[in-house]
Amino acid sequence: MPDRLQQAITVLQSRFGSAAPRPAAPPCAARPSGIAEIDALTGIGGWPVGRLSLLAGPRGCGKRTLAQRSLATASREGPVAYVDFPSRLDPEFLSRIDARLDHLLVVRPNSLRDGMASIRVLARAGVDLIGIDLPRARAAGLDAELPHLLHRVAEADCTLLLIHDAEADDAIRYYASLILSFQRSAWVFSRDGDLKGLQVDAAVVKNRLAPPGHKQRWIVPYPIP
Amino acid sequence: MICCVRTPHPSLLAAWLQTPAWRGRPLVLGGLAHDRGGVRAVSAEARAQGVVEGMSLNQAQQFAPDAIFEPVDQEATARVRQSFLATLHRFTPDLAAAPDPGCAFLRLDRLTLRWPDRARLLAAITRTIDEVIGMAPVLGVACSMFVSDVAAKHATPGTPVVVEPDQTRAYLARFPIDTLPLDDDLREYLELLGVRTIGRLQAISRPAFRRQFGIKALDVYDLAMGTDRRRLQRFRPPVRIEASEPLEPPVDNTQALQFIARALAEQVSGSLLAQGLGTRAVRIMLNQESAPVLTVEVRYAYPVTTAAELFDGVRPRLLRASIIAPLERITLRAGRLEPAYIRQPGLLIRRDGFQESIADAVARLQEEYGSLMVQRAEVRSDAAPLPDHRILWKPA
Repeated sequence: MPDRLQQAITVLQSRFGSAAPRPAAPPCAARPSGIAEIDALTGIGGWPVGRLSLLAGPRGCGKRTLAQRSLATASREGPVAYVDFPSRLDPEFLSRIDARLDHLLVVRPNSLRDGMASIRVLARAGVDLIGIDLPRARAAGLDAELPHLLHRVAEADCTLLLIHDAEADDAIRYYASLILSFQRSAWVFSRDGDLKGLQVDAAVVKNRLAPPGHKQRWIVPYPIP
Repeated sequence: MICCVRTPHPSLLAAWLQTPAWRGRPLVLGGLAHDRGGVRAVSAEARAQGVVEGMSLNQAQQFAPDAIFEPVDQEATARVRQSFLATLHRFTPDLAAAPDPGCAFLRLDRLTLRWPDRARLLAAITRTIDEVIGMAPVLGVACSMFVSDVAAKHATPGTPVVVEPDQTRAYLARFPIDTLPLDDDLREYLELLGVRTIGRLQAISRPAFRRQFGIKALDVYDLAMGTDRRRLQRFRPPVRIEASEPLEPPVDNTQALQFIARALAEQVSGSLLAQGLGTRAVRIMLNQESAPVLTVEVRYAYPVTTAAELFDGVRPRLLRASIIAPLERITLRAGRLEPAYIRQPGLLIRRDGFQESIADAVARLQEEYGSLMVQRAEVRSDAAPLPDHRILWKPA
């Protein structure tokens, strides 16, 4: 933004307060997801720092694969955590995509409340990225927990990735800064007929940091390396 | 220079603080008059009638039939001794607690800048101790612990005895050899030789003394010459702050337990506040009736001081504790003490000022929710190709 424009906005803000013009999308740091298509889709170059991003969609559309890739990328930079409610994390897959397992903490809570408490503690302790694998069956009461959680996460500059196996509930829809919806569109075969991968359509349903509505096609390679 | 500060036995002081009317009367502590057991402490008035420490209570009653006989209040005694030492510690950290519980030694050398006038320093020590324990101490100042102790024993409250280094030998010379820590054999030998005062002992040369009594007796000889080679063992203020409450009758009601725990948290908080400290760990000890003691640990992300913060951590652990019998006693012990001021700089930054290490956070979660709550995964390449074998899950 040019200096003169910035000065003008400052003058207007001092005169009119909250009624003054402000940027449509506030500046926000981003943490790369490890997949170029997804980074482009978010509009800010990755997952927003200090905010909640939601990966929604039915089973088998690559949400967890994407989250694990993001974890692997972030684990090379610093400590990461994965809150594994359904116990479906695959450390072997993570090690194959060069994740640093010594930087990864896996939390297996007994209840949603325990899980949220541990996320708050870990975020405060300096974990960079926390993936939350939360099936819909165990999400009851999340709307009451999210405000406290997001306050702590914003303070600690931690990135939250929530993996949810259905379209988001109202509370999550409200509190998430970025919602990506995934749909599997087609199987991808090679010329000789072997299965090459799964084509997934990703769409930005909500984005508080960049214009929403973009779509991107992404191929989950098979066999998973 | 070393200052010896002497008071009567702390159990006597505790009894006098509790019942001021007993001052000036013969008081014997250790038990009631016809109890079995020995005398633990006696007042000067009872001593004048022939009662000494270690004597049986029955015998003491024969010597002083009009004396007051009371058992020792251990908790009050410990409290008096602690406040006595803590008060002296405020003058200088170069403080040693003597084996005699009513005695402590202070090194005065580093106090000359703060207290250039030694007489005013000694007056301040006397006044402060008097305010805290209700009894003016006697003070002796000399170049070693032994000489200062001798000087203190011959001082009166408000009139310290100061022995300058060049006068040490001359000062000690007048005292009988019983002033020295002699064993029976050595005392007998010295008396046979006609050595009855320290001055006579000083007249013997060191090699001659060594030839006659052996190398072990040289320590006594050095003390007689005013040289005390014992090192000042520093007194360290307590690293734990504890509050405890006996429950009579035993309590099995959760509401009542919370109420008591809250009161204990306030006591601990008061002690922390008084010392400007915060705690990162509180141990709750629950003494159960006819069942083992239950210990629950509470960890805090940052040093907490206020009762509300302490109780916020204590309450959920208390409710989750597997109590199987009514409780006879509950104790709250604050550990991992840190200066409370470290919280302040954090207020200037965006967060609430506390950065907990990930290891601490994981330890706290595991302590609260069990060791399997936070885990790490390890892939074992040499294992059988079954997921359960290839991946090793272990507590973080």
